[in-house]
Amino acid sequence: MNTEEQDVIIEARDVHYAYEEGGPHSLNGVSLKIKKGRKVAFMGANGCGKSTFFLCCNGIYKPEQGTILFKGKPIDYSKKGLLDLRSRVGIVFQDPDNQLFSASVYQEISFGILNMGVPKEIAREEVDQVIGHLEITPFRERPAHALSGGQKKQVSIADILVMHPEVIILDEPAAALDAKHTKIVNQIVDGLAEAGITILMATHDIDYALSWADEIVLMQEGRVLRHADPVTVCTDQEALAMTNQEEPAVLKLFERLQKKGILKEGLKPPVNISELEHYIEASSNA
Amino acid sequence: MIVVDKLCYRSGLRYVNAGEKFAFSMITLLFCVISRSLVIAGIVFAVNAYLTVKKGHIAAKQYIKLLAVPFTFLILSTLAIIVNISKVPLDAYAIPVGSFFITGSFQSLLFGIQLIATAMASVTCLYFLSLNTTMTDILGVLTKLHCPEILTELMLLIYRFIFVLMDTASAIMVSQKSRLGNRDFRTSVNSFGKMAAGLLLRAFKRSNALYDAMESRCYDGKIRVLEENHPARKKEIAAIAVFELILLVLTIWRSFL
Repeated sequence: MNTEEQDVIIEARDVHYAYEEGGPHSLNGVSLKIKKGRKVAFMGANGCGKSTFFLCCNGIYKPEQGTILFKGKPIDYSKKGLLDLRSRVGIVFQDPDNQLFSASVYQEISFGILNMGVPKEIAREEVDQVIGHLEITPFRERPAHALSGGQKKQVSIADILVMHPEVIILDEPAAALDAKHTKIVNQIVDGLAEAGITILMATHDIDYALSWADEIVLMQEGRVLRHADPVTVCTDQEALAMTNQEEPAVLKLFERLQKKGILKEGLKPPVNISELEHYIEASSNA
Repeated sequence: MIVVDKLCYRSGLRYVNAGEKFAFSMITLLFCVISRSLVIAGIVFAVNAYLTVKKGHIAAKQYIKLLAVPFTFLILSTLAIIVNISKVPLDAYAIPVGSFFITGSFQSLLFGIQLIATAMASVTCLYFLSLNTTMTDILGVLTKLHCPEILTELMLLIYRFIFVLMDTASAIMVSQKSRLGNRDFRTSVNSFGKMAAGLLLRAFKRSNALYDAMESRCYDGKIRVLEENHPARKKEIAAIAVFELILLVLTIWRSFL
């Protein structure tokens, strides 16, 4: 195994999955490699198979054809193998109401780590630590139903973070959140990335994906249509149109400014407003 | 349900050890039921009302409102004991209606009052527990008492999903109302049926999604969660012991009268 292959944490080889036997396939031959420590955004139209693929990565669904490898080894679907996989690959579900089951936030967060067999005293310390880290303390003793959407999302991330996974899968973490809570969740995600955790995130926010991700996987009808760096994917008009996506606003503006001659040709496409602002400032100073 | 849940999270006695509150309410309830005494019922009612309103900081108006529900039910159900229709007038009261009397004896009247008092005092015991103790803490106590896991786990999931399904039901009803779904009685009944059917389907979907989410966190068939610790205080334990001792003495004394 060469160094590049050693860096691959999740690999999918021609993965097929159908919810019903003989029914239409949700995954139609997904093949991709995710390297350790990368921030990967999964994009595509609704129903393109992002969530199904995520559940396959966590071992909830077993592909009917093809293989998923974790750290170079095919997923072991025995009880022990799945427990081991799930303690390393955590998934934060799109709808927190489908994830949070316990009567209080504190209990909820302790569920995963106790299932891993961690002694109660250590689990208590870990839960307290993650509660402090994600600023959950003000509502740690509240019941899940009394939390706002953003707070529920914070708790659902804490649920997984307390288990110290190597990979965290976030299924549309900012769905149905207001700007304030989206910012809080994005800050948490940035913190996870800084800690070296591999992050797989499904999102429909192409502007965010462009600025945040190291790679974007564009999915269509259960297959990977494009998998490349954000700028390459976000400038592929044809692929974007096929997956109901629009070009990011910052790239649109950048192209128009170049066409009008305000910005010179040959500049590296900006991934966020700050970079574009920097180009404009440099151009006006020149 | 929602009111009780909200109140218990705001209660001034919320952080008192759940075991203490559970023991206090259950032992007191037991004395109420065993003694069937008006005096004991009166004491229990007064003490529970004082603790819930004064110490638990639950508004008296709200407490009375909550008590009014079982009280109305009790009045209606004890009418059969207090009120008789007979051709012969009894000793307590008799209202002639044609050739009959709406009548009652002192004995049945006393029995009815005793029954209402005992039941209301017992209700205040349960209200003391439910208005000052969160469901999480109650489940913690039941676990410590070795209540079967299947029951406590079911209670935990039911408690969580009552609120989720209530939210869903409320959203469906608002959507139905916005499209004249309750225009008249017929459409209201029709809409209610459709809402119930939709809710059942969503409950199934949610339970599948929840199971997946629990499995993704290494669930192996047993729900393991940490309990919050609110240690018991000697002063409180002593106060409970003294109160229960008084009730015990009163119960024994009343049984010899």
